[in-house]
Amino acid sequence: MLKKRIIFTLLFDNHQFMLSRNFRLQKVGNLSWLQRNYNFASVAFFIDELIVLDVSRNARDPDAFCAALEKISAGCFAPIAAGGGVTSVEYARRLLRAGADKVVLNSALVDDPALVRGIARDFGQQCVVGSLDVRKNDAQDGYDFYIRNGTRKVELPAAEALSWHRDGTVGEIYLNSIDRDGTGQGYDFGTLDLLGADWQLPVILAGGVGNAKHFAEGLAHPRVDAVATAHLFNFVGNGLQKARQALLDGDAELANWDPVGAVDLRRHLGPAA
Amino acid sequence: MVTKLVIVDYGMGNLHSVLGALRYLEVESELSGDPKTVAQADALLLPGVGSFYQAMETLETSGQADALREAVLGRGRKILGICLGQQLMAEHGDEDGGHAGLGFLPGSVTRLSGSGGLKVPHVGFNTVRFEPQSRLFAGFSTPVDCYFVHSYRLEPEDRPGLVGLCDYGGNFVAAYEHENVFATQFHPEKSQTNGLRLLSNFLAV
Repeated sequence: MLKKRIIFTLLFDNHQFMLSRNFRLQKVGNLSWLQRNYNFASVAFFIDELIVLDVSRNARDPDAFCAALEKISAGCFAPIAAGGGVTSVEYARRLLRAGADKVVLNSALVDDPALVRGIARDFGQQCVVGSLDVRKNDAQDGYDFYIRNGTRKVELPAAEALSWHRDGTVGEIYLNSIDRDGTGQGYDFGTLDLLGADWQLPVILAGGVGNAKHFAEGLAHPRVDAVATAHLFNFVGNGLQKARQALLDGDAELANWDPVGAVDLRRHLGPAA
Repeated sequence: MVTKLVIVDYGMGNLHSVLGALRYLEVESELSGDPKTVAQADALLLPGVGSFYQAMETLETSGQADALREAVLGRGRKILGICLGQQLMAEHGDEDGGHAGLGFLPGSVTRLSGSGGLKVPHVGFNTVRFEPQSRLFAGFSTPVDCYFVHSYRLEPEDRPGLVGLCDYGGNFVAAYEHENVFATQFHPEKSQTNGLRLLSNFLAV
């Protein structure tokens, strides 16, 4: 049976990894900090997938982002999606060469559908993750989509903003609640209603996870294929490991592997061939 | 004796992920598209993501296909095909109008049916049931979750070598091993420690 997924999202801004709350960024540290204080190498063995986003608010530094991606991917043996500032097929190719398996596209979904088609044509539909940020508006049960790091509201009805969902260019959707982002209050499942009853693509739900119970609620939802969190500090120490184990011991449909077995594998092989 | 492990570089797919996994296992390997290097390898990895037709055209015109045949069929060197790599080792692939494969393993590659409303491509961790005597799955006791991303698959006819099955709207070949020929439809380099163990099993054969 196809399993559901726990996804960790790393936010990168100008050489630093960030925490985000309602899309306001706070610096956490660079890659060595992440490795030293957060033991990211170990965390990477407890997730089903990793997403790395360049959310730089000022000018992006693609060289620095790709260098960080390359280092992260060298120690992560799960699929990796990367994005932020993808404005050409060439840059998508560069991300894939730096270790990504998929490319995350946000603003291009609305601003540049030809780019989305181009990336799908060259690398396949499964390679494209469409990402939309969502914020509640004043209407009853109303939401708006946002692009460009949450700074621009999409002035289109939901069906039009999502018109790509059946044209074979996008493999899955990353749906992130700006209102819940970084708050630890749990997912906003109301955002799923934006997708309509005929929605076909796998759904990654993001924004609001504060603890393992929130993951469990997300994984139990029939419309959710993957649950994501970008909040490093809600799962410090072996927090993510414990959360995953609790979910596996429950009835979550997650993949199973022996996370600590990785260390033994080198010994298992003996000296390098 | 130093074993020369060559990852075949034919310009398609996630070669660096495979290289990363081998580095993690502290195994030396060489990335090469040179037919001479491929022909003289002691062990081969054939990864790949992309179109069967395009990949076979590249392998045939570059001389890499003949080099692979020499190493695998002529000199009996072990090879592990991953994802598209498994498919390329079959006799025939349907994708893009069809093309003959390398013919290291029997059978044809056809499109996933998507029956029962299942989404194609098949993406994510799914469960592989394996034969207990399998060398690739040595050390595993229960069905193994592995990461898949594909739209085509090798049909599971009754034949020796079929050591791993996955069910996605019907069974397909998730893993094959016969003598010196090994293949997986899933990505061991993206299947966490399950995949790392399987890679190390292949290297230890």
